[in-house]
Amino acid sequence: MSSSFVDISRPAIQRRTFARSLRGGLKGGEYTWALAFVVPYIAVFITFVAYPVVYGLWMGSDVNLYRELFADPIYQSTVVNTVLYLALGVNVKMFLALLLSGFFMRPGRWTKILLLIFVLPWAVPQISTFISIHWMLNGEWGFINNVLYKLFHIEGPSWLNDRWSALGAVIVSHIWKWTPFWTLILLAGRMAIPLEIRDTAKVDGATGLSGFVHITFPLLANLYLICTLLSTIFLLGDFNAVTFVSGGGPANQGHVLATVGIRNAFDLARPPLGVAAVMSALPMVIPLVIVLMRKLRTAEVQL
Amino acid sequence: MTHLSRRSILRGSLAAAAARPFVGPYIAKAAATTASVWFAQGFVQDEDVSLRKAVADYEKQSGNKIELSITPFAPERQKIVAALTSGVVPDVLANNPGEILQIYGWQDRWMDVSDVVETQKAQYSDTAIVSGQAYNNVTKKVGQYGVPIRAAVVPTHIWRPLVEKAGFKVEDIPKTWDAYFDFFKKVQDNLRKQGERKVYGLGFQVTANGVDPYNLFMAFLLGYGGQNVVSKDGNLHLDDPKVKEAAIKATAYLGGAYRDGYVPPSAINWNDADDNNAFHARLMVMDVDGTLSTEVAVKEKHPDWYFKEMVTHGTPGYPTDNQGKPVPAIVGVTCWMIPKGAKNVPVAKEFLKYFAQPKVVGEFIELGLGRWLPVMPALAKSPFWQDAKDPHLRGYVQMGLLGPTTPDYFVFNLAMAEVRNQHVWSMAMIDVAKEGVKPEAAVDKAFKRVEEIFAKYKKA
Repeated sequence: MSSSFVDISRPAIQRRTFARSLRGGLKGGEYTWALAFVVPYIAVFITFVAYPVVYGLWMGSDVNLYRELFADPIYQSTVVNTVLYLALGVNVKMFLALLLSGFFMRPGRWTKILLLIFVLPWAVPQISTFISIHWMLNGEWGFINNVLYKLFHIEGPSWLNDRWSALGAVIVSHIWKWTPFWTLILLAGRMAIPLEIRDTAKVDGATGLSGFVHITFPLLANLYLICTLLSTIFLLGDFNAVTFVSGGGPANQGHVLATVGIRNAFDLARPPLGVAAVMSALPMVIPLVIVLMRKLRTAEVQL
Repeated sequence: MTHLSRRSILRGSLAAAAARPFVGPYIAKAAATTASVWFAQGFVQDEDVSLRKAVADYEKQSGNKIELSITPFAPERQKIVAALTSGVVPDVLANNPGEILQIYGWQDRWMDVSDVVETQKAQYSDTAIVSGQAYNNVTKKVGQYGVPIRAAVVPTHIWRPLVEKAGFKVEDIPKTWDAYFDFFKKVQDNLRKQGERKVYGLGFQVTANGVDPYNLFMAFLLGYGGQNVVSKDGNLHLDDPKVKEAAIKATAYLGGAYRDGYVPPSAINWNDADDNNAFHARLMVMDVDGTLSTEVAVKEKHPDWYFKEMVTHGTPGYPTDNQGKPVPAIVGVTCWMIPKGAKNVPVAKEFLKYFAQPKVVGEFIELGLGRWLPVMPALAKSPFWQDAKDPHLRGYVQMGLLGPTTPDYFVFNLAMAEVRNQHVWSMAMIDVAKEGVKPEAAVDKAFKRVEEIFAKYKKA
């Protein structure tokens, strides 16, 4: 008798415990209010985050799309361009930002004025500046070649007619545009290093390069890495610099994944093929995001 | 007094939501008289003004409401593709780009509008009616999915002062194909002797952006006798020796002119508007470009340019082939379409029937300054198009409406739209222009790609 009583009651207790754990310890009306507050966020998340991602995955799920994509000579050159764009664009920019953030740490009024001028490229609208660069680089009537001719009687090249110089122009434009932003971030990071540490290091003789190598950089390293990862992810989706500086030219040899995705989706009116082009970057993006998340966790204990 | 508890508010909200479908007949009735219409923004403001006027006139006459959305050309194209992909479509839209009609017609995504076209069938040119048709790969039939409203061809645009500065007259320009274009090489040579370091004779868009390079190549293909590249039944004829010879000549001329320095070097990387900008800056003696946008863009600000200095060569003026026979103009036709899934088809069709009337569509074109051509030959006889004081309109309408014309080839086979968008002809021109490839080899490579593309669109 007693054993049968125990057998029946156990599941009931388990059910109650499970229900309580679901409620997170909230009782009665508290639970209803909690639900009322959470449901809109869940709805927004599903509508604007989960649905587009799942829809994108669904659109790009046909294996034949990738067969077609990989056979496309434009896609093949696009992959090479994208790797170069990321490797040079991100690393040169971040290294310059690291050096310049050190320069802007110097005391003095002129440094502040220079900083103000320096951030201007970042502050002005990017599309109009990229279009200006496109025109400046025009081989026949552009500003650069005209200056070369007026001053030195040199006929400059058609900068955007060669695949590598066109890609180079895009990379330089990107670096010019975004170095100020990352310089400000690293400058903020440098300013967060306690004065006591720097003063103590100076007493111990760690000044100049030595201070940078042994004190500043180790303390900035995590921030630098996070910025580099973030910049890589941002740049992978960058459409503007390529579209407005080189137009993906010459002869479609200068595309990156973002622009070829748009081309496939809308110029060819084949959205799934466009999604497939962008999705082909996932094997690179996912590890980057994982490393970034890990670094963001460990960043709390540094600096 | 009733106490408002949390439960009562929740109950009330649920009840209101549940009752919503039964308490909204008034709104539903209002929506039944409303149609959403999408159209691409004009190159000049007058085009948008003329569209708004036509819509306002319709609203006044019918009592219906049109929700008009005018979007710049490139974003509108993206908006249309996105709408058709998601299934959330307007009631009416126009084919921007032109081949959208055939691309989604193949997929059975348009409503049949033959009843609308029937109301004005006697008025339309044959080219216009055929341009509104597409092969439906679901029904396995050709359907009438577009109501033609306007058209465009590719005339040549010339700066008279530059021709005269080189010591020639516009009247000196030869009438046959090769001699016609060779003339501008001589103009450039003479201008260079006078120290004009950066003025080029020929504005050929040997680029891989937009639709201009395809239009340019196709004009040359037809100029050299390659009309049979795709027949009306949709079959590809690359094995026709005439077609191959024409393709080789077109590639050789266009690529060769670039290689020999008669085309601005940056043309290889031009986008849609770059040739217009370079022409307006008088950096080229002539440009081959679709519509009269080059001229109407400056009409208000620089009337002297429009009336005295710019020359449009439609017919007469547009070159014949090398044997002296007229070359048919390839006509791109803008059509209204109703996507399947449109919420208010009756109002959409009523609006299209209204818009298709010669008086309405004729006024729409004319108020847009004549950048676009009418699609009804009778409209070409209006005082606007026959104005003797206007140096551009008569030749343009003769070339695109009254003279020999052909629809764009993607109308006969959708594969040609992909040939255009993959820039297959551009790559052949660029191979010759920049890489020094022989025209025969460049054409062989292009033909192989064209055949691959056509293989994807085999009609059942």
